[in-house]
Amino acid sequence: MATTTPSGSSGAPSSGARKLPSLPPDTLKNWLRQMHLIREFEVRCMQSYQEKKIGGFCHVYIGQEAVAVGCTHAVRHEDPIITAYRDHGHALARGMTSRACMAEMYGKVGGCAKGKGGSMHMFDRPNNLYGGHGIVGAQTPLGTGLAFATKYEDEVLNGGKNKRVTLCFLGDGAVNQGAFYETMNLAGLFDIPVIFIVENNGYSMGTSINRGTTMSHDLTIKGRAHGLKEATMDGMDVLAVYHDMYELAEWCRANSRPAFVDMKCYRYKGHSMSDPRKYRTREEEERHELNDPIGKFERVLLDHGVITLEGGDDSIKEIMKSTREEVRDAIQFSNESPEPPMSDLYTDVFLEPWSRFTGSSLPEFMGGAENACRFHSTDGKEGLV
Amino acid sequence: MTAVLHNPLFREPSTISGATREIEFRDAIREAMSEEMRRDKRVFLIGEEVAQYDGAYKVSKGMLAEFGERRIIDTPISESGFAGMAIGAAAMGLRPIVEFMSWSFSLVAADPILNNAPKMLYMSGGQLGCPIVFRGNDGAGGQLGSTHSWAVEGLYSNVPGVKIVIPSCAADAKGLMKTAIRDDDPVFFLESERLLSIKEHVPEGEYLIPFGHAAVRRTGTQCTICSWGRPVNFCMEAAEILAKEGIDCEVIDLRTVRPLDLPTVIASVKKTNCAVVVDQSWSFASPGAELASQIHRHCFDDLDNFVYRVHSDDVPTPYSSKLEQEYLPNVRKICEAVRAATYRA
Amino acid sequence: MPIEITMPRLSDTMEAGTVIKWNVKEGDFVKSGSVVADIETDKATMEMQCFDDGRMAAILVEAGKQVKVGTPIALVALEGEDLAAVKAGGSATKVPTAPVVVPPAATSSAARPATVTQTETRHGMEGFPTEGEDGPRMRVSPVARRMAEDHGIDIRLVRGSGPGGRVIKRDVEQAIENKSASQASAKSSTIASSQALSVSTGGVQTPSAPLALALPGRDVALTGMRQTIARRLVESKTTIPHYQVTMKFDMDRLIDLRANYNEKLKSSGVKLSVNDFLVRACALAMAEHPYFNASFAGDHVRIHEVVNIGVAISLPEEKGGGLVVGVIKDADHKSLRQISADTKTLAEKARTKGLSVQDMSDATFTISNLGMFGVEHFTAIINPPNSAILACGAAVQQPVVRDGQLVVGTQMQATLSLDHRVIDGAMAAQYLASLKEFIEEPETLVV
Repeated sequence: MATTTPSGSSGAPSSGARKLPSLPPDTLKNWLRQMHLIREFEVRCMQSYQEKKIGGFCHVYIGQEAVAVGCTHAVRHEDPIITAYRDHGHALARGMTSRACMAEMYGKVGGCAKGKGGSMHMFDRPNNLYGGHGIVGAQTPLGTGLAFATKYEDEVLNGGKNKRVTLCFLGDGAVNQGAFYETMNLAGLFDIPVIFIVENNGYSMGTSINRGTTMSHDLTIKGRAHGLKEATMDGMDVLAVYHDMYELAEWCRANSRPAFVDMKCYRYKGHSMSDPRKYRTREEEERHELNDPIGKFERVLLDHGVITLEGGDDSIKEIMKSTREEVRDAIQFSNESPEPPMSDLYTDVFLEPWSRFTGSSLPEFMGGAENACRFHSTDGKEGLV
Repeated sequence: MTAVLHNPLFREPSTISGATREIEFRDAIREAMSEEMRRDKRVFLIGEEVAQYDGAYKVSKGMLAEFGERRIIDTPISESGFAGMAIGAAAMGLRPIVEFMSWSFSLVAADPILNNAPKMLYMSGGQLGCPIVFRGNDGAGGQLGSTHSWAVEGLYSNVPGVKIVIPSCAADAKGLMKTAIRDDDPVFFLESERLLSIKEHVPEGEYLIPFGHAAVRRTGTQCTICSWGRPVNFCMEAAEILAKEGIDCEVIDLRTVRPLDLPTVIASVKKTNCAVVVDQSWSFASPGAELASQIHRHCFDDLDNFVYRVHSDDVPTPYSSKLEQEYLPNVRKICEAVRAATYRA
Repeated sequence: MPIEITMPRLSDTMEAGTVIKWNVKEGDFVKSGSVVADIETDKATMEMQCFDDGRMAAILVEAGKQVKVGTPIALVALEGEDLAAVKAGGSATKVPTAPVVVPPAATSSAARPATVTQTETRHGMEGFPTEGEDGPRMRVSPVARRMAEDHGIDIRLVRGSGPGGRVIKRDVEQAIENKSASQASAKSSTIASSQALSVSTGGVQTPSAPLALALPGRDVALTGMRQTIARRLVESKTTIPHYQVTMKFDMDRLIDLRANYNEKLKSSGVKLSVNDFLVRACALAMAEHPYFNASFAGDHVRIHEVVNIGVAISLPEEKGGGLVVGVIKDADHKSLRQISADTKTLAEKARTKGLSVQDMSDATFTISNLGMFGVEHFTAIINPPNSAILACGAAVQQPVVRDGQLVVGTQMQATLSLDHRVIDGAMAAQYLASLKEFIEEPETLVV
């Protein structure tokens, strides 16, 4: 597959030292900073989880930072993104503030969903991030629907040409879900501009890919069966991800067709915080750590003089310092952000409740109309009463 | 909220004057969908056989010709996929109507319709709504055997975040469908295959029926019979029989089980002191059980007897016509329940 | 289906009863309304009616045996039913799981099992216990309970026709119909009900309505006071062993004395009545006869230290009619003038704004006087918790034999009704003798 950069230069994709794209240095530095931010953020998530500040499940993205950052920047901001439960990296890459992301995990009102979604359910509509979905594979028909809608809007409502492409991330475990096969079939059938990005980190929880699916050496075969354009990308190299994804996304956008990406990557930590990683060897982990996407990207930027090791705003040291400060601020914000008011329990169930409403999780339903007045939201607007 | 509640188009069809016009239940639903699709291009219909086949039950007959294949969309047999896809489209702001050929087939789409559609708004902290209508045939009666005879309201009414509409007549079907399409929340619209061919008066002109507003189909003083969907018709028949025996029944058609119009039911039971709930889903943990419980709670000091309930029998739906008729909440069972509830057994 | 007669609940506190006597034997024909047995409750011996026509098939509880309320005590075979078969079937169900209170005659199909539709039974409800182990409790449907409260009906006295004897809406409606709450007399009843005959604020019994005659007529609703009178006097008449003792009194001297005093006191507006003398006489007689100023209290007799004489006062029709008892407190310590003034005050108040609870409380003895209407002789019903009541007739001129001579004299008959649990006949005679002394030598009343 040809790789096209925005500047028009082209060349065969390679996983090694890549020719630096002709992008402004600030953009490249920003990518590096985002990757550092994600890693620092996830480390602090682990810490917060162990401090019981974060509840429920928590899945960290360490090792896969290049995928979220490279893919996100390869498409436009108006292109929708949807992902699975390992979603903090995508949220941060898409522009969610680390405060909103961390506070959500802390279950506080300052969270992106006011503390109603949690770690696995990061939604950010202004940034066109449509979750954060906890059921494996469930986001794939939804993502196809997002793409259906953008296409419908562009073509049917506005009478023009399809302009947007949707990135639908999933793990390699999700490729075995029936919904995903149905979805690929529909996307292929209906010419839907959606890209299924299988973040193939080799494990669905503790089950290695060769124990979990057929044709594990080349997952793109699964996409090919449904007529999807296919690609294999090096998810440990942000520049490779960017180049390949940019080209693919533009093709999908222009042709209004779906695609399937086998995005090779590695998850440094366990599936979740409670995963002892007994199913793989330490040696295997170390081998992949040598291929760390952040270190690799730093070397390229250092080689090209875009950044320095230390000294000045453009130094790695300074970038790491600023990300640490940002995450520390996010944690402080999350600690200080108030718990949701009890009235929030009853809001956001319906957009259109009804005056004689008696049929849902409302207190009136449980305790009678006499209690309903207690549950107006704090801002004075009537809740679901 | 207020925009919908105070919509001037909210009218009871019985109050609309004009020439009597009789159309089939399926025509009424089609009229509603077509009117809304003309009004709002964001609305589209998707499902199995809805387009070229004109609908498995001819509900969408002729719609492909009018609206074209971009808006009347045939899908493969792939409920989980197209239901989920439509939910994604709704989250983006389109207003899909998803036809399940039968609600029984929605079970393979349970994850998207129960885990995504009703929860997206809540989980996103109010960022993403889901203005979608799922509709199709619900309930037994056509000798389809057990797997195709689901009354899914028993299962789905348990889930917060969905609105469940079960019309009992063509005029309601039209007004409720138009409301469903305009509603910003997910609506499960349960039609009865047994009613589709019934011709009834449906007024000309536009009208919408608000959710959560029951219709009193028959006034009476001695027993309140509450039901929704097809069994309402059985209740009316039973009420006639019971009237001859001197038991004067009030029949309330709830029209929507979520929201449930408790005020109308409560007012009636406070008058009659007696209630029978008729629900075609299975009895255990059903909307009928919920309504009975609510009546007991709100009318405790007004009841002369506990609330009797008539459901489909607690067995898989049989194929045999004779067994199936006995299995359903039929007129005989309703009469028996009312007699018992009024101490006339 | 044979009818099961269960031990009826014949008083509000009755939990068990003893069959004193069976008035029928197995094989006898019984009719609805016939008294088939005498039942001793915790308070009294009561008649027990049968509510169905049929033949006594089995007597399950012999005379002298005490059983809990609700326990089957007899079986009645209905027309066409085989006596022997009923008896055989009945003895097998001597310990029923769901005792059925005998329903009123109006719904005599009775004793049917709790109704459950097929729909319900199909969900595995059969076999559920319908009654606790420790016998029946009052079963009332919620609306029946509320309606009874709203209408002042004592739910405990309403017979239930629902499953397991549950009191249901129509039972209370029937009771309300029987009772009376006519809107026309609603106002007077609220005034009067608080002063009717007794100050008891207990529930109102609805006397079982006799079968209505199928004749033209009009129904008059009961006022609250009428209900109280009905309940209190039925209770008195059916629980107190009444007997009467009558005596004649020569009234000539009393009448002369009264005329004399009234003439002298005219200027001060005092006008003594014969009744005032009688009140004082009755009160003074208590000193020698303390059991006339007493109450029966189950296991003892309470002798009161104060003498409060109740005076029955009839109310005018426009006030809703009826009867109240005004009480002259410490009557034995009051002069004739004081008694007269008190009586006038009470009568005036009763007929205008109504007596207060205080005005009607704590009578220890009651006098009812119909003399002013020309009645010569009558008997009265004891006003509980009194032990006696004196019914006074008119003082009339009549031929009397005095010192062997037939002369014209003025005499009055007075009849004591007495509670035999407290006062025996000889005691009554002695009390009347004392009364006679006071009345025939009225000067003793003045000093």
